[in-house]
Amino acid sequence: MKLLEPLRLGNRTAPNRIVFGAHETNLGRRRVLSERHVAYYERRARGGAGVIVVEDASVHPSDWPYERAPLASECEPGWRAIVDACRAARGRGNEPLVLAGLNHAGSQGSSAFSQLPMWAPSRVPDVATREVPQAMEPDEIAAVIAGFAQAARAALAAGCDGVDVNLGQFSLIRQFLSGLTNQRGDEWTGSDGGHDHGLRLRFAQRVLAGIRGTIGADAVLAVRLSCDELAPWAGIIPEVGARIAAALADTVDAITVVRGSIFSTGATRPDGHTEPGFNLGLVAEVREAVKAVRSDVAVIAQGSIVEWGQAEWALGGFDDPSRADAVEMTRAQIADPDLGVKLAAGDADRVRPCLLCNQKCQVRDGRNPIVSCVGEPRSGHELDDVDPTAGLATGGDRADGRNLTDGRSRAASAPLNVLVVGAGVAGLECARVAAARGHRVRLVERSSELGGAVRTAAAGSGRARLALIADWLEAECRRQGVTIETGGEVGAALVERVAADHAVVLCTGSRPGLRPYAGAPQPSVSDRPSARASASGAFDGVVVWSAADLLATERPSPTGTVRGLDAALPAGPVVVWDPVGGTIAVSIAELLASRGRPVTLVCPDFTVGTQLSLTGDLAPANTRLLQAGVALVKRSVLRSLSATGVMVEDRYTGDATAIACAVLVDCGTLLPDDGLWRATGERHPRAGDAVAPRTIHEAILEGRRAALALDAGSGS
Amino acid sequence: MARVARYPRLFSPLRLGPVTVENRVVFSAHLTNYAEDGHPTDQHAAYYAARAAGGAGLIITEEHSVHPTDWPYEKLIHGFSPSVIPGYRCITDAVHAHGTPIFAQINHNGGQASSMYSRLPVWAPSSVPDPLFREVPKELEVREIAEIVAGYALVAGHCHQGGFDGIELQCSHSSIVRGFLSPATNHRTDDYGGPLARRARLLLEIVAAVRETIGRDLALGVRLCGDELIEHGTTIDEAVEVARMVEATGHVDYVNTSIGVATATLFMIEASMHVPPGYAMFIPSAIRKAIALPVVGVGRFKDPLQAERALDAGHCDLVGIVRGQIADADFVAKARSGHVDDTRLCLSCNQECVGRMGLNRWLGCIENPRTGREAEHDRWTAAVAIAARPQRVVVVGAGPAGMQAAIAAADRGHRVTVIERESVPGGQVRLAATVANRAELGDVIRNQVTECRRAGVTMRFGEEATLESLQALHPDAVVVAAGAVPERPWWVPATDPGVDSPGARIVDVTDVLAGRAAPAGRVTVFDELGFHQATSVAELLADRGCVVEVITPGMVVGQDLGITLDLEQWWMRASAKGIVQTTDTLVMGAGPCADERPGLALQLVHHPTGGSEVREVDWLVLCVPAAPADGLWRACRDAGLRVERVGDCVAPRRIHAAVVEGQRVGEQL
Repeated sequence: MKLLEPLRLGNRTAPNRIVFGAHETNLGRRRVLSERHVAYYERRARGGAGVIVVEDASVHPSDWPYERAPLASECEPGWRAIVDACRAARGRGNEPLVLAGLNHAGSQGSSAFSQLPMWAPSRVPDVATREVPQAMEPDEIAAVIAGFAQAARAALAAGCDGVDVNLGQFSLIRQFLSGLTNQRGDEWTGSDGGHDHGLRLRFAQRVLAGIRGTIGADAVLAVRLSCDELAPWAGIIPEVGARIAAALADTVDAITVVRGSIFSTGATRPDGHTEPGFNLGLVAEVREAVKAVRSDVAVIAQGSIVEWGQAEWALGGFDDPSRADAVEMTRAQIADPDLGVKLAAGDADRVRPCLLCNQKCQVRDGRNPIVSCVGEPRSGHELDDVDPTAGLATGGDRADGRNLTDGRSRAASAPLNVLVVGAGVAGLECARVAAARGHRVRLVERSSELGGAVRTAAAGSGRARLALIADWLEAECRRQGVTIETGGEVGAALVERVAADHAVVLCTGSRPGLRPYAGAPQPSVSDRPSARASASGAFDGVVVWSAADLLATERPSPTGTVRGLDAALPAGPVVVWDPVGGTIAVSIAELLASRGRPVTLVCPDFTVGTQLSLTGDLAPANTRLLQAGVALVKRSVLRSLSATGVMVEDRYTGDATAIACAVLVDCGTLLPDDGLWRATGERHPRAGDAVAPRTIHEAILEGRRAALALDAGSGS
Repeated sequence: MARVARYPRLFSPLRLGPVTVENRVVFSAHLTNYAEDGHPTDQHAAYYAARAAGGAGLIITEEHSVHPTDWPYEKLIHGFSPSVIPGYRCITDAVHAHGTPIFAQINHNGGQASSMYSRLPVWAPSSVPDPLFREVPKELEVREIAEIVAGYALVAGHCHQGGFDGIELQCSHSSIVRGFLSPATNHRTDDYGGPLARRARLLLEIVAAVRETIGRDLALGVRLCGDELIEHGTTIDEAVEVARMVEATGHVDYVNTSIGVATATLFMIEASMHVPPGYAMFIPSAIRKAIALPVVGVGRFKDPLQAERALDAGHCDLVGIVRGQIADADFVAKARSGHVDDTRLCLSCNQECVGRMGLNRWLGCIENPRTGREAEHDRWTAAVAIAARPQRVVVVGAGPAGMQAAIAAADRGHRVTVIERESVPGGQVRLAATVANRAELGDVIRNQVTECRRAGVTMRFGEEATLESLQALHPDAVVVAAGAVPERPWWVPATDPGVDSPGARIVDVTDVLAGRAAPAGRVTVFDELGFHQATSVAELLADRGCVVEVITPGMVVGQDLGITLDLEQWWMRASAKGIVQTTDTLVMGAGPCADERPGLALQLVHHPTGGSEVREVDWLVLCVPAAPADGLWRACRDAGLRVERVGDCVAPRRIHAAVVEGQRVGEQL
């Protein structure tokens, strides 16, 4: 496997070509790299990462882009602890290279924490903050160049193998390289040496020369370079990006090719709406230009590469020409820290998939969420979460990182019979972990397939990868010997009978919520799931569909046929009512629009999809909806249904508007389907939506905790 | 003491159970984001101590959480952890050093939260998602209700050990008790839901448990919401009824009041200058008529006279003044001593206090650089004495940056002269404050002018400073605070003076506010700033009878009004005034209209779709970034003068940036 071949970076060698790239984590304390950082990177080192780039540190006090952004002058102890931990995590000869990420965010930073003006080549306000930066004076330029060199010296002193300098989507150096942001017209709009053909290289050249002069030829100098700013009117276009990369090749050992800029920061780490491997054409073009100058510079691919097969293909596997020398697989290793170890062990099919959902790993947000993963909640919480496959009493993992594959050997001291009711992701994770710890697990599911609400959510536009977590959990459960029964209703009587000699965990999911508008048929709130009526129904001409029922029409029935939206829904325009502002309504509106339906999306907020700000999809989602011709009705609440449509009311002015439609899709919040819990004496533990309908992350977190609590209960 | 007679009621003592307050001004509970890792910090102590030193009658701290399921925002104090007690001690010792009583507010935010930090299900009376957080909570089991009650008692005990003089139960704004009291969020059918007496059961259980824990040594207060301003929410009649129940327990020493729900109607809790002062007085007034306990009234109290009148009219027994004391920690002392004109009046702009809370940043103040930095300032003032050698400092420009630099320098003992080109101070703030509903912004000018006068700064108006005129003054240091000048985008056509042309119908927002331009008819306001500039001028022109449209490349017109809680009311006013709002759109060109129609043809591009259209209007008003007026700074620097620059002539930004920069440079001369 090419992915597992050693990688030469300058004068150093990484054990393989899997890169854990620089990214915001919010794991720091104030501006210091913390013990949480150490545990986070150590875990990836143990799991087989070849190169680890530590979160970018600001090289100068004028840069404080987010509250927990590390400051290089305070990072030396943290870098040293990370390097030591990562090297110790693997056997000799397998130590990953550890690079310190270095950056100055320039006009894309923030003045909120520093209370200082932001520095930039020219006074071009950033699109996001609209704050006008200060055009840098010569002494300030010199200070930042010196800051980069000083930070690199500190990183090397801490034992880092080198540095990775940010010339990517959020960087002052890129701002100097680009016509979008560098309008100085002075010497800093030009280049040193023979590169003065419209390139604005000088600042980058001086920074990199300063670093190289400090760290010498032995240490690694890598850069992350935006080679396409997606703004062809003045920005770096791929051809120019390739020329910049070639011009810098003399100085650097590695170039990670990325795209995006002030108008397209979403291109940094887009979610599932963007095709995985979207940069592979760009990286090939840049690599060709770089290799023409210096063949020993490593060109690293980036861009939603989360499948090992795609990574292998990018490196020239499967008899294809190689496009890159290494692959950044950051989110893949947030989802499964053991990626490298599993590949090396031939367990590629056991790698926990990255869903490209960005729900927990995208943390550039003022609330400072800690980096984590919907499917692996322990990511980012290495110090405060128990490893689900390690003994509770001992904590921690085995040094070889193969805890998942030999999980069964670590039997709980008192194996229990366990009944898990409901095979959504909460139930699947509960069953998986319980079985891995040696319990005898029986998992029962009412419907014919496993995965629950995730399966239907995955039918939404751009969300297909969500289903991968259900597939993976199902495969792991089968591998762990979980007894799986589908298609049978589980009633209270059965649970009570089984509970005599089983521990019971209820993961029974959700049911439709109430409809606080006039004229709507209310979904059944019966306690008995078998009596649950369809959540959808007709009222006087306008048909009301729940989001789940609508998406289910796109899924195969037990007989394998797909009914499809068009067959299921009456003809005519559709109103999508979204009081949540989340992913579901947006994906449904897009799906309907893609089938040619006239769609109006009604929401209570000033923008559509407010909750998407965390995943980075807020602006892209609004753009996609507008491009698809979806009408957006904001600041409004749904008041009533009529024979010909719906009545909505402006939240603030009270003005009422009628919208004609044949179908109303209700994307409101759900209620816990806790009938079985109530019917069995409210005594069995619950997990996931059965407690409160939320997201995949909470379902997996609670399913896992319920499984671990079995051990506690059994006295192990 | 003759001065006190000006505000006899404000400065009369009052008993709250075992505690006597010397005056009626309460620094009521509010978030600060000063906590770290769930613990109070030195900054908390310094912040509260500054208000105690400034004369506040009573301080109530921000909330302390009673249970690990409650973690709605990152910098919440985890009162349930015993490790907070040393921090409590630091706070109470610092405040008691000034003889001021201090209470702790304790709370569980209930469903008004997410699991982002706690990684636990959110707890609430019913599975009703909060309008802000949108996370479906877990409907509390009865044993969990008991856990919450026990949490209140536990934290009350921590507060007692930490030296607090009283406990306030937060039952409004954002609280599980509010959640139980309100029919909007309590849909339970058990003993904790249904009729008011059952919805109030949790509150009464908590009152009993807390009183049992603290005994009679500490005061106990309850903060109730008089009107949630939400559908099916609590209104004043039920609030009065709950106040009666609270009084009937015999356990409670006072009732505090509030209006609104923090996660639904925050813009009416922390009302900006667009809401009239005293707007929430009906609540304490109604409650005070029903009960004998002392009642606290709140709601945008700007000055001591207003507070005195509220007491005199019998609306309340105490007055909660938060922002007034954020802006001026000595608010009470100045009122007591009669130096009311010296009070740094709060602008109710919400930019750096309320605005920073929503963004998870530490609380500050637009015009008081010390707020939020008290702990640091205390260290500085210990280290930095008055300048050994007073210098002659000349400041060019009497906007917020220049005046703040002058104040800071004069406070260090320097001899400071401010030279201003205009005949009046204030710079662009003066223009912004000319719009009727933005007038209170102008208080910052009044405040700074007063400070300058107190500090002995010489102000010269109507004088244009040049390199030569500055050199003639032989200053030791020059601070250039010359502001910014409007800049026209590249696509604006050139104009000939005095000739009507498309370019002549394109004006800057400052031209309109200063009266240099008077657009009429169909007016488009193009906004790249996203703040009050565009919305203010749009309202001004609509009031003058123009047909107004605001166009922005952003997703929302007046995007940053959301931060200051002005967005909702802007929308209401704009709708009433017929102002059209167009988003996601750029103006890319301007020229004459077709067929020689009068006016101006604007080329618009809808950037998400690339769609373009032409809009014919009579005038275009630009709200776009200005250019720094840094010429004088460069000239001084090149001539070898010792020169600094502050404010918009560094980079055109908002008032706060100007003030903190002025302060920083002024005190470092």
